[in-house]
Amino acid sequence: MLGGGLLGYWGVAYLDGGMSLQNERWNGTLEQIFATPTPLWVILLGKVCGSVVWGLLSFVPTLAIAYFGFHQRLPHLDGPTFAVSFAILSFSFLTVGIALAPLFALWRWALPMINGFELGFYLLCGFIFPVTVLPGWAQGVAGTLAPTWATRAVYASTTSQGPHDFVAWWLASLALSLAYLAGAFFLYRLVDRRARMSGELALA
Amino acid sequence: MAEVAVFARSTYLQYVALFQWATVRGYVAYKVVLPVTQILFFVELGVYASGRQNALYFALGNALQITANAGIFGVIATVANERQFGTLPILLASPANRLVTFLSRSIVNIIDGIVSVIVGLSLTVVVFGLDLHRANLLLLGLCVVLISATTAGLGLLFGSIGLIMRDAITIANVVYYLLLITCGINFPVSRLPAAIQVISYGLPLTRGVEAARQAANGASIAQVGGLLVGELLVGVVYALAGYGLFVALEAYSRRGGLQEAY
Repeated sequence: MLGGGLLGYWGVAYLDGGMSLQNERWNGTLEQIFATPTPLWVILLGKVCGSVVWGLLSFVPTLAIAYFGFHQRLPHLDGPTFAVSFAILSFSFLTVGIALAPLFALWRWALPMINGFELGFYLLCGFIFPVTVLPGWAQGVAGTLAPTWATRAVYASTTSQGPHDFVAWWLASLALSLAYLAGAFFLYRLVDRRARMSGELALA
Repeated sequence: MAEVAVFARSTYLQYVALFQWATVRGYVAYKVVLPVTQILFFVELGVYASGRQNALYFALGNALQITANAGIFGVIATVANERQFGTLPILLASPANRLVTFLSRSIVNIIDGIVSVIVGLSLTVVVFGLDLHRANLLLLGLCVVLISATTAGLGLLFGSIGLIMRDAITIANVVYYLLLITCGINFPVSRLPAAIQVISYGLPLTRGVEAARQAANGASIAQVGGLLVGELLVGVVYALAGYGLFVALEAYSRRGGLQEAY
């Protein structure tokens, strides 16, 4: 019931958010953005926030189809836990979008590569089925992704079965999200420096 | 002869313009990453839902369907990107033969689709143990070429909509996943409701994938000939319908000044 919405939410948040710098480049407006006194990350934060909010709309059709088409409900939903888990999931999507944006600007091949890996994220983040069914090494890779832990918490909050280690999952997701932000900070500085040194900012 | 030259030049320019994102490293990475992730995701999903015994069915189906990434996304992007890059009015102002211009849009993507399937099949052999010892490899190769071409035919039809629509690439997302559901990629067409089965056999891939599965099991061309002819007909119908739509929408977009809308 939640899986379809999560796929749509993730797709919009990470790709649209991550593309926010690249789109400016393609539209010929990237140089103006760099020239404004407002820090680049502030501008991008607003753009990625917009993508995350837009991505939330994915839940409207998927929940409607699940409810009206297949008469599915979530009888064991723990409202407060679900709300916290979902907020942390959204934060993790936001940080992924922010971290990817400079990556796409730095390396042209990063976009098709990450785009091609979209279904890999579905697999590793456990959006449709639990990552516990994956081989051990794949679970290890999945553990480095912030959305994986938050998704686990979201699903667990809708059922009374299985482990419910919410605090540990929330902390893991938040810690990884903050690590992405720290990495993004250095990437933004790198983009800024390279763009000014090479003069290739507007080259698509 | 002049038309052949226009076709060749147009095909080459498609490659130069539309693969502008691709460094050698990026292209190779993409051609490995996409098949690997798509096949692994659907195999794991299928195994989770129906058991390990069906893994090869999912792997082979997705290895073949990968061609739609080039045939649908790539071909639709040939028109969508002209709009985005601001070159659509120039293209439509040229005196070149429209049919030649139109068909040349798909050639590079057909080749790209074949490459994608080869990567996908190689992965299926190595990771999922697809045994090709008994396979009719020539026939399998023919099936791969055919489904790449027919999928591009469908791409041409939807690509024409890019003449009047700003975000035609959105259509590609819908069509790509529609093909995954309806064409016997992850479960047999017979499992679908009767009305959807009619749609399935009106789409490219359905017959071609069925023929390719049989070729992988050693079927002869006589056994799958009907499927291949049907697949070819479906592809030709879509390509012709796409050309008709292209011509009609070109006039419409010119009247409405839609070519530069972005």
